[in-house]
Amino acid sequence: MRLKRPTSTNLILNLLVGICALILAFPLVWIVMTSLKQQAEVMTWPPTFLFVPTLDNFRVLFDVAQAGATSYGTIKVDFLTPITNSVVIALGSVIISLLIGVPAGYVLARRDIPLKEDIAFFILGFRFAPVLLVVIPLFSVFQAIGLYDTYIGMIWVYQVVTLPMIVWLSRSYIEEIPKDIEEAAAMDGAKPVRVVLHIVLPLLKPGLIGASLLIFLLAWHNFALGLILSSTKAPVTVALLKLLNPGVQFYPVMAAGLVVTMVIPVILIVIGQRHLERGLTFGAVK
Amino acid sequence: MADVRLEGLSKAYGTIQVLRNIDLAIDHGEFVVFVGPSGSGKSTLLRMIGGLERISGGRLLIDNEVVNDVDAADRNLGMVFQSYALYPHMTVRENLAFPLRMAKLSKAEIDTRVAQTASLLQMDHLLDRKPRHLSGGQRQRVAIGRAIVREPKVFLFDEPLSNLDTELRVQMRVQISKLHKQLGNTMIYVTHDQIEAMTMADKIVVLKDGVIEQVGSPHDLYHNPASRFVAGFIGSPKMNFLGGKVEAAHESGMDVRLDAGAVVCVPVEPDKSLVGKPITLGIRPDDFSPSSAEKDIAIDLDLDLDLDFVEHFGSVTYVYGNAGKEAVVAKASKPDPLKGSGKVRLAASPADCHLFMTDGKALRRLHAPANWN
Repeated sequence: MRLKRPTSTNLILNLLVGICALILAFPLVWIVMTSLKQQAEVMTWPPTFLFVPTLDNFRVLFDVAQAGATSYGTIKVDFLTPITNSVVIALGSVIISLLIGVPAGYVLARRDIPLKEDIAFFILGFRFAPVLLVVIPLFSVFQAIGLYDTYIGMIWVYQVVTLPMIVWLSRSYIEEIPKDIEEAAAMDGAKPVRVVLHIVLPLLKPGLIGASLLIFLLAWHNFALGLILSSTKAPVTVALLKLLNPGVQFYPVMAAGLVVTMVIPVILIVIGQRHLERGLTFGAVK
Repeated sequence: MADVRLEGLSKAYGTIQVLRNIDLAIDHGEFVVFVGPSGSGKSTLLRMIGGLERISGGRLLIDNEVVNDVDAADRNLGMVFQSYALYPHMTVRENLAFPLRMAKLSKAEIDTRVAQTASLLQMDHLLDRKPRHLSGGQRQRVAIGRAIVREPKVFLFDEPLSNLDTELRVQMRVQISKLHKQLGNTMIYVTHDQIEAMTMADKIVVLKDGVIEQVGSPHDLYHNPASRFVAGFIGSPKMNFLGGKVEAAHESGMDVRLDAGAVVCVPVEPDKSLVGKPITLGIRPDDFSPSSAEKDIAIDLDLDLDLDFVEHFGSVTYVYGNAGKEAVVAKASKPDPLKGSGKVRLAASPADCHLFMTDGKALRRLHAPANWN
């Protein structure tokens, strides 16, 4: 039976939903609009909603050769390098986090080790700490040992952001797999390594794809680490900031950069979602 | 051949002792059932045999080889879990093939064995389904199939039927018994259901609080329970226990005056030291019959029962009531005079009675029925 609500209540509820959506969508729409405008149109007040869209801003971002000949005067933007940097750093961080974090999560989920909960909480604690806590001391250390402005250094330090998440998520996913299944595999003659390879990992796959997407986004959007610990290997978030030169402000180009920055994770999520098979463990027990 | 020997096996979690000094010999081809209330340690014992639980003390031998420190994977045992524990990401075929793949058999060999097992358990048509598309009974069959496909030395069953409904449980009980006859392997089966134990076992091991109360054939346990606990646990409805006092001990048994009034001479091994001491008389509901005038009052155990209610099962009727202060259940073969309430006179042969001392131990009966076999 459907609950009947008065039309006025319905109207108000819909209105509230609409307002929420508007608040959330406004910056997004604004940035996309800005990225398609000319510099002059961006500055007009009241803002114009009807304009001839141009892809010139996107061309400026990537076309290094012709960058000098734009209507913005002489600017040289190389946006491809920071994107490459971000992809390498974020992907590398995900892979390293998976390699270290999943086994750690497995131990925390399945084995009785001393101080287990304390270790788990300590790892999670990094999620609460401000990133700068790590960055400041690391700055001089990285410079001293030659990790400053290297991919390896960046991927390493990004573990502060990504590793705790993977450890915690994989721990809870592994706890969801009934222990009986692993024991059944052992009884069936599978050694621990093969139990993990044949049973645990296939069952973890959907969860791990989801978790990987999540930490990829965390890594992709990180700003403070790249700002302080890199220069030529700076990620896209830092490159965006550099578009805000003092004096000349290329708002439309920056908006185009933002759109590109947003599009890449969106594409990944769309691809990844298809692998997220839900309720895979259903039917195993009971 | 695969026999299993447990020598002084014990298990402790920290300072908590869950199993103490378990000695047991299981011969090749035997169907052994571990039975006991929850917390008695029966599942832990099975898991120790399987290698899923570390052994804290004692020795476990399979085929005269100590396997205390052998991995579960290397013990070559098959196990069926209460939760079935099927691999959800694999089809039935892949589930059955998994133990064979782990044993590195050839593809052709795997295919043959899977097909054989599937037809043995009548599940050829299910081979390409995933576990989530199977019913409870079908999942149970796959779990059993996965345990037998590798032809292990010993099969372990951990309460495999407790998630099934009554009808399926009876069916699967029969199927497992048949399977045991067909395969002839050693099987160790854990259950809290005494009916499963009675119907399937060659040998029942009754566990209580981490120690073995009694080991014996179903017939033994039913007719010669070693303790009041075993007597109460085996048999349904439960054995009646009546309080009383020993009046005399002589060659033909012990005279007991029941709190309910009657005096019975129970043919058990006499023990003069018990004269004057309190004792418990046990009598199974099925050993009662409605008293009639023809019977010799002096020989029979007679009880006047205040009827509480009557349960009709169709083939059999049980009456519930009180004799003095004690609750009594009795079988009534003829339900006609036993409708509603009132008084009923029950009679039983003293030869069917059991006596238990205050510590719960039974006195040996002199005329227990001969073995069924």
